[in-house]
Amino acid sequence: MDPISLIIFIAVGGVLIGAGVHFIPVGGAPAAMATATGVGTGTAMLAAGAGMTGLVTAASLTGQSMIMVMLLGAVGAMIMMAFTMLIANYIYVYGCGVVPASAKVDNDPITGRPQEIYCTPGTEGHGIPTVCFVSGVIGALMGGAGGGLVYFVVNDALTKASLAAPMAAAFAGIIAISVYFINAVVASYNIGGTIEGFHDPKFKARIGKGFIACLLASIVCGIFVYVLIGGI
Amino acid sequence: MADEKPVSSNMLLALGIIGGLLGIYLIGINPIIGPLLACLGGVCAIIWGANAIRSVAGYGLGTGVPSIGYMSLGIGILGGLSGLALVSLLKLPAIVSPILALVVALIIGLIIAVIAKKIVGMKIPVLIRCTAEIAGAGALSVVAFSTALAGSYTLSAIATSVILPGYIALFFIMNTMAIQEPFNACLGPNEDQRRTLTLAVANAFLAIVVVGLLAIPLGYAALLIIVVGFVGWLCSYKKFLKLSNEAAASVVWSGLWPKLEDQ
Repeated sequence: MDPISLIIFIAVGGVLIGAGVHFIPVGGAPAAMATATGVGTGTAMLAAGAGMTGLVTAASLTGQSMIMVMLLGAVGAMIMMAFTMLIANYIYVYGCGVVPASAKVDNDPITGRPQEIYCTPGTEGHGIPTVCFVSGVIGALMGGAGGGLVYFVVNDALTKASLAAPMAAAFAGIIAISVYFINAVVASYNIGGTIEGFHDPKFKARIGKGFIACLLASIVCGIFVYVLIGGI
Repeated sequence: MADEKPVSSNMLLALGIIGGLLGIYLIGINPIIGPLLACLGGVCAIIWGANAIRSVAGYGLGTGVPSIGYMSLGIGILGGLSGLALVSLLKLPAIVSPILALVVALIIGLIIAVIAKKIVGMKIPVLIRCTAEIAGAGALSVVAFSTALAGSYTLSAIATSVILPGYIALFFIMNTMAIQEPFNACLGPNEDQRRTLTLAVANAFLAIVVVGLLAIPLGYAALLIIVVGFVGWLCSYKKFLKLSNEAAASVVWSGLWPKLEDQ
């Protein structure tokens, strides 16, 4: 694979990962106390869970076409993210006794149900309402597909450089994880901690800057991945 | 305690770089002691990284302490492996491999931190220096542990012994935890450098016990690593518990209980 294509593919993968993170309802510490909407942990944890599951599922289709690897990466990450949000919701509803509701919108954009009357006064919502859940699954789709793409192109480049298949897969896996974390955390810096999903006003305000930051970070990663592949 | 003079970041940087590189270079000294020295090099790098995390996360990242740890270790692994690969690409002598691994990780860390600062708009003054430092510490610690397992610091040896069996993924998470967890566990109003770094030492020794377990095929070298790691962990963790007890609020307010004979 020529260097320009490799760097472009890694940049596209990185941007998908970075954009995906903006969709995931990250609630952080306030959500852990059910005083903000989203899953009660940081981006790094959510990205690690969904991204790594996505990479494992993507790697299980090593040797298949790029679309298949990306799709399976996306499906793995979506399943992981959906389960994380579902179980978190069970804990919020049956453990904390709160109703999933968002304080950022008057009505849920998907179900149309009113949100404000269900928000506890003094909180910014709680639990994971439908719109956040759907947004989270979309985010995992993008992140998983991006991770799968990085895995595929690195594996492909290494295999074409006549490296044995298991070794190429091992290198591609660790490089994809590294690129995944770099982009996920740059994106989470851009979000500034917590976000509810695509309906959050923060989303529109920050996604542009996040796109540019992740694009540049991925291009840098791509250049060094090319050096690494050349050296192997 | 807090009234003691803190160790300067530059001194810990020197400890991490010199100790880490020395440990890696001494791998060939003896098949039994070499891997242990490489592991101890990794311990030095982890202490350096933990101090850098302490400096940067003290400002409040807004994304949690682990986030910068994961990102920097990602940079560290990418940079470390690229640095090792650069040696064969540029046909340089193998002896410069660990230095190149460190330098490339520092450079990528620097660039990503500049992106975070200039484009994302992070307002932490030490972000650039500390991200580069953590990435460098991550690269050195991973290369040191990999060298201990592979018996050499060349990319081909590390690829066969560490990357192919997937141990590199374990080192990624384990070293991230060892570097970021001390500050994450100790942060708060009465956090002090000595206690945080003591926990970092304990974590690093615990990590080398795991490296020792992976190195069992090497024979006696593994036993030595496990014993040293376990003894190191026991001593440092006991010290950490003592420091934690001393710092506990009730003790700070009322002093230690008087001994019976003093009453």
